Amino acid sequence: MTISRIAAAFAAIITALLLQASLIGPLTFPVPVSMPALIVTIVGVYAGPGVGLGLGFVIGLLADLGAAHPAGVQALCWMGAGLVAGTVGGLATERGYGTRGVAGLAAALAAGASFAVTMLLAILGSHGATAWLALRDLIPVGLTDALLGLVLVPLIRALLRAQGVRVPRPGADVIGRVHVSH
Amino acid sequence: MRRLTRRQRIAAVALTVVSLLFISLDFAGGALSSARGGATGGLGALYRGTDTVIGPVRRFVQGIPDVADNRAELARLRRENADLRRAVAANAVDAASSRRLDALQLQAASRSWRVMAARVIATGPGAGFEWTVTVDVGAREQVAPGQTVTDGSGLVGRVIAVYPTTSVVLLTADPTAGVGVRDTRSGQLLLASGSGSSGMTARPLDDGVDVKVGDQLVTGPAGRTTFVDGVSVGRIASVRGAADGTVRVAVRLTAPQSGLDLVGIIVGQPLRTVRAPIGSQARQ
Repeated sequence: MTISRIAAAFAAIITALLLQASLIGPLTFPVPVSMPALIVTIVGVYAGPGVGLGLGFVIGLLADLGAAHPAGVQALCWMGAGLVAGTVGGLATERGYGTRGVAGLAAALAAGASFAVTMLLAILGSHGATAWLALRDLIPVGLTDALLGLVLVPLIRALLRAQGVRVPRPGADVIGRVHVSH
Repeated sequence: MRRLTRRQRIAAVALTVVSLLFISLDFAGGALSSARGGATGGLGALYRGTDTVIGPVRRFVQGIPDVADNRAELARLRRENADLRRAVAANAVDAASSRRLDALQLQAASRSWRVMAARVIATGPGAGFEWTVTVDVGAREQVAPGQTVTDGSGLVGRVIAVYPTTSVVLLTADPTAGVGVRDTRSGQLLLASGSGSSGMTARPLDDGVDVKVGDQLVTGPAGRTTFVDGVSVGRIASVRGAADGTVRVAVRLTAPQSGLDLVGIIVGQPLRTVRAPIGSQARQ
């Protein structure tokens, strides 16, 4: 991982958290839309499970520490969302999903992550979270995430293709030697 | 479908364990309080900075759904404000009217007059005169031409035209109005005439009489004027002699001629007892 990729990831994490707190959260109230979770899933789709896993954990943990609920809840759930997105995203990219397809997939995974966060908090008895709330918000969050994804997918795709941020191609594994006789 | 590499699987397991550890530590106590404080403080500072830039955009977007409601609310508040202003103005008018009614009542009671309260409903030129007002009482209320009009403190004018429900009052300041007045200090008689916005000017019947600035002038004498006698007309503001030797007196009116609202028309005077000549009873 290069310095430029680390800097880009840090900038993306901070930007996502700031936009979530100052713009997305207030504008989508009372639907608990989480733009950071959506970013994690979109990045996971394009960059793979490793990046999705790491990004989900870091951004989730930072969001947890800035919130009042027990730390680690969002880190765990968003990490799982990034992991799943990276795994399933391979299929999406192989099949040539466009913006709408990726946005829909990422929105479904992000809504699932939000559902999991609320359920985990409900299990922990934290902040009045209940299973009913988790279930009630699932579809509105998914739909809003899908709309938001239509904007975010092209942006993130372009960012990941930018010079210095692009994921390096994996090196070819030597699977055998072929002797050519002249 | 991508497959996880061995390192990724290890990382996933490790991060899951770390997450659960964080949850346990934070849920059990305040083990992460310093980390939480640092993150909250750092993000808080960034939130404040971001809000400076994004806040106006967010507030604009948030306000869009309420535009129609805000307009309706604004219109409602404007109407309410106008109503309140009208109420305040009406209260002030009512208070002033109340004071005038008190004055009229006091004057009527002290002089045993029958006073008909009337509200000025129109001002300006009317009935061919310049200084007139129209009041909201007329023949139905027993108003008759020639009746004296007062504001409770002084002479306002006299009724010159009566209609079923309204009457026209000629104000004393009208240049065509003339009033016989008496100096209450010296008892001398003067003939006062209106001089528009300057009030009235008076001319003593006898140029050699004693009139001074500040003397009170009232209508009178009884039986010699079309007005009810004893109504205050004003005070002498200045006395000056003309080139022809006559004396001209400027009168500052007791009743202001502008801004009239509530006035009283003296529709009846007390019946006077017929007095016997002095000494006649003694002779009987």
